Amino acid sequence: MLISLDWLKDFVDLPANTDPQELGTLLTLKTAEVEKVESESAQFDNMVAGLVLSISKHPDADKLQVAKVSIGKETSQIVCGGANLKEGMYVAVTKPGSFVRWHGEGDLIELKTTKVRGVESEGMIAASCELGIDNPEEGEEDIMDLSAIKPEPGTPLAEIFQKNDTIFEFDNKSLTHRPDLWGHHGIAREVAALTGGKFKKLEPKVKIPTKGESPKVEIKDFKLCPRYCGLIINNITVEESPDWLKKRLKATGHGTHSNIVDITNYVMHELGQPLHAFDKSYIEGGIIVRTATDKEKITTLDNKKRELSSEMLVIADHKKPVAIAGVMGGENSEINEKTTSIIIESANFHASNIRKTATKLGLRTDAVQRFEKSLDPLLAELALLRAAELILKVCPNAEIAGPITDVKKFSEKTLEISFDTEKAASKIGAKISSAEMKKFLESLEFEVSGTGKTLKVKVPSFRATKDVAIEDDLVEEVARMYGYDNLAPELPPLPINLPRENTERFKKHRARELFSYGLGFDEIKGYSFYSKTDLENCLMTEEAHLKVLNFLSEDQTHMRTHMTPSILKALQVNVKNFPELRIYEVGRTYLEIGEFMPLEEKIIAGAVMIKGESDEPFYEVKGAVEAFLSKFKIKTKFSQGTEALPYAHPTKSASFLAKNGDSIAKIAMLHPTVQKNHDLKGHSIAFFEINFTEALKLENPDYKFTALPKFPSILLDISVLVDENIEITKIANAIKQANTNLIKNVELFDIYQGEGIPEGKKAVAFKIETQAPDRTLTDPEMNEIKNKIFKNLEALGGKIRGA
Amino acid sequence: MPLKNLYIKPRMKNELQQLESSALKALKEVKTLDELKDLEVKFLGRKGELTGILRGLKDLSPAEKPEMGALSNTVKKKLEAAFASKQQKLENDSLEQQLSGQFFDTTIPGKSRPIGHIHPLSQIQEEVERIFSQMGFSIADGPEIESEYYNFEGLNIPADHPARDMQDTFFIEGKDHKDHGRMVLRTHTSPVQVRSMEKYGAPLRLIVPGRVFRNEATDASHDHTFDQVEGILIDENISIAHLKGVMKEFLTRLFGKEVNVRFRPGYFPFVEPGLELDFSCLICEGKGCRVCKKTGWVEFMGSGMIHENVLKAGGVDHKKYQGWAFGFGLTRLVMMRYGIDDIRHLTNGDLRFNHQF
Repeated sequence: MLISLDWLKDFVDLPANTDPQELGTLLTLKTAEVEKVESESAQFDNMVAGLVLSISKHPDADKLQVAKVSIGKETSQIVCGGANLKEGMYVAVTKPGSFVRWHGEGDLIELKTTKVRGVESEGMIAASCELGIDNPEEGEEDIMDLSAIKPEPGTPLAEIFQKNDTIFEFDNKSLTHRPDLWGHHGIAREVAALTGGKFKKLEPKVKIPTKGESPKVEIKDFKLCPRYCGLIINNITVEESPDWLKKRLKATGHGTHSNIVDITNYVMHELGQPLHAFDKSYIEGGIIVRTATDKEKITTLDNKKRELSSEMLVIADHKKPVAIAGVMGGENSEINEKTTSIIIESANFHASNIRKTATKLGLRTDAVQRFEKSLDPLLAELALLRAAELILKVCPNAEIAGPITDVKKFSEKTLEISFDTEKAASKIGAKISSAEMKKFLESLEFEVSGTGKTLKVKVPSFRATKDVAIEDDLVEEVARMYGYDNLAPELPPLPINLPRENTERFKKHRARELFSYGLGFDEIKGYSFYSKTDLENCLMTEEAHLKVLNFLSEDQTHMRTHMTPSILKALQVNVKNFPELRIYEVGRTYLEIGEFMPLEEKIIAGAVMIKGESDEPFYEVKGAVEAFLSKFKIKTKFSQGTEALPYAHPTKSASFLAKNGDSIAKIAMLHPTVQKNHDLKGHSIAFFEINFTEALKLENPDYKFTALPKFPSILLDISVLVDENIEITKIANAIKQANTNLIKNVELFDIYQGEGIPEGKKAVAFKIETQAPDRTLTDPEMNEIKNKIFKNLEALGGKIRGA
Repeated sequence: MPLKNLYIKPRMKNELQQLESSALKALKEVKTLDELKDLEVKFLGRKGELTGILRGLKDLSPAEKPEMGALSNTVKKKLEAAFASKQQKLENDSLEQQLSGQFFDTTIPGKSRPIGHIHPLSQIQEEVERIFSQMGFSIADGPEIESEYYNFEGLNIPADHPARDMQDTFFIEGKDHKDHGRMVLRTHTSPVQVRSMEKYGAPLRLIVPGRVFRNEATDASHDHTFDQVEGILIDENISIAHLKGVMKEFLTRLFGKEVNVRFRPGYFPFVEPGLELDFSCLICEGKGCRVCKKTGWVEFMGSGMIHENVLKAGGVDHKKYQGWAFGFGLTRLVMMRYGIDDIRHLTNGDLRFNHQF
């Protein structure tokens, strides 16, 4: 919203030396955010009126002339190409340092003293368009002619064009809760309170006849329209608005139309009350405020045909709708140059109904913007009087036909709040006396009675519609008037019983450190949703999925039930830039479980992808999951295969299970079809999914130190030839079973197939660590263990190749 | 005892002394290990000068023998030590010379261990959690899929409030509850306010970092998914001045230099008074620059004293307890901290981005 300083001054006395920038900051800190304070005159800096003293031909250019121009005490030499340039002409001189738009086009350019074809020119003589001023009469090659005004040379152009206003640009969002601030009058009241300047309340001086013709108004629904004031004015002349009116509307960013329409807009910008003017001759049989019939149609002032629905409020006559209430007027009763008699509407409408109508129609207007904030019903009458006053001023022949019609049903009871000043001070965190608080509230037109701890505060009607309703609303008034800047930062006392850490959160960070800094994986963040195609590409069904009703795009329709689809997307993004990828994500999945609240699980998922065909990634993810489980001291049981994971390879997959059989982590090679669906052929991909929440439940916090061995261990290497289909675990177990007490560790270090190994066989080599807690093992003992191992391996059909 | 024996002892003593001084003198001149070897043979070898002198011992009287024996032993030990020390020195010199002559290219790049990267959002989140933990705040969690009740009504945002418009909120299909309304993707972390009041009661002191969702088109500065941090402090006598103190402390610790904060009035239905908090621009230190749009202040978060309707919804006695809440954008904080100009980098998974952190 744009607010003119000049206009504000109509309603508040400001000291002459008020710095607009400082006033802007004050409003920002105490009322609402002022985004910009712009002086209208700034764009005319270094621009003055000049008088052309003499002209001579440019020695080196046919179309250029060299002018001597008086710009006050000095005379400038300026090269000019203006076709209408002549001696004795008053012109607009833009001096070096000014900013102009070259031939009215492109960006603003700073002027400097420069040589034009060898002749020095101190600035230039400007055309209207170069100053951003419309002048249709000026020829294309012409310069601006100020001879009609004959200004004293050196007079600033800002003064000549009356560009002396300053505009405050408010952030509309910061005014959401302040319906009283949507016009100059309300802002002025606030400025008066902030600065101590006197507030000059608007009191329209207009005589309303006690007899005569008044509009007939009927309100069908007082909830949607608590008040409707109407007035008939006859004998008006519709024409262009006078300059003062146009200037102010332009300053607030508003276009101008005709005097009547401009006045309704003027009053809206002044008081924040939207008005509407109907051409009375088109109103058949009086005004009815009613809800629309379903599919009722109206063409609005913007020439668009709109279809209404039954919850929308319309202003109608006895035959047709003539306006969408509080939103926009209808074309059928629009003011035109032939209009002589008008009905002015100043009404109050239900805020959220207006907002819903506007949203449904996609029609945001200045009126909607104000009505949706909950306007003060008392404002309607004041605004109507002000409009009448201005119409009589602009159209001296106009006549008010009769009394105001005022149909209303709303509570005019003043809201009174009991205010605990001690509580208020404790909430604000400053020692503010009751008397001071009273002063702050009174400056904002609250009526305060009582002294000491408890005050009785009456809320003025313009603040009572929505903004101020409870005691804390008054705390805010006091706090901002006191000034948030005056509050000293204070640290709250630290409780002795500090909260226990959220261990899950804390451990999530530790898990990240393990995966990233320990295991070399990169963390990514994926979206929480994916598409139907995504889940189908992973061979999943829509089962257990929550669907987004109003999704933004087709690829974000389903809440993810698994993390791997997000991981696969990240692989796709990076496959062209990296030969190998190790990535993971710590995130949530969302499962429909037949209750209202879905099940959200915290999952760590990741993948390893390398080029070429290999099972290596499987063992990498297996190693990563094992590292995680070991780091967090989580005991699980390893199990072949995974349950219900459609994108997993059917045999190259495994799970880590809790004691009760619940799956804590899953690992697998990606199903070849899924890999193909993701265009990741030529790579080998394995993934893992750890249910982080469930895993942490198995954590063993009582993990204890184990004493270091006192006697040395003896290592034994054994290589054995076995059937290729025998699992490594089976062989390792056979070794371990040879002596479960003395064999501490069995470590696979080679699997070999190929030259020298018969078809269908594999050579497997283990490093075996033996150790006794109370002695060094002797040769005979070692031989016994070895022989037992050989026997066990041979029982598996193995042939010892070496030891 | 033969007379000539009387001269043997003084002569021998003399010879030993001379041997010592000439050997030490010669040792000083030695430049190489070979020369040292020769000299050692000459003086201390099996057929060397010392051995020569010691042959005279047998001619001494039994009374003189121990004395001369001891003397010669001293001289021998001294010389051996001198030779050993010289040898050490020459060896050290020779090693130093050899080492300093070696070519070695230190400019070959270091051998990198494959270290992974933690997402910047996670890194900043941990810092935020750590700082607030140090100030006595717990870290809480809440569901990302929420009921309309917790996301809106419980927070004093009634059904006809503009914030409830469809265009801002993602709804979940087919989920309705008679008390909780429809199901939404939480639009802010604030639902945890009522949830944690219900769960823990007052006093309460916690933050909630987490993912939130807005149904708005994506561009360089907007994403439909981003992260926020909610903070709540409820106790008796908690004030706006405390909020100012906590946020100033938090930002100063986070940025590692003195940061100032200021409040402006702001409007959010779940707080009253409502406040916007700005912090002093770290780029220009408050003088005004492009980043802070020449104001010297950077808009940071919405906050305020928790509205009594919210306290009531959470079952907290609003006559006894009061407090504040704030919510700031963690994603925005990460972008400010690292000068990231496009929010989409944070979720599109391109590791060329992630590798920078």
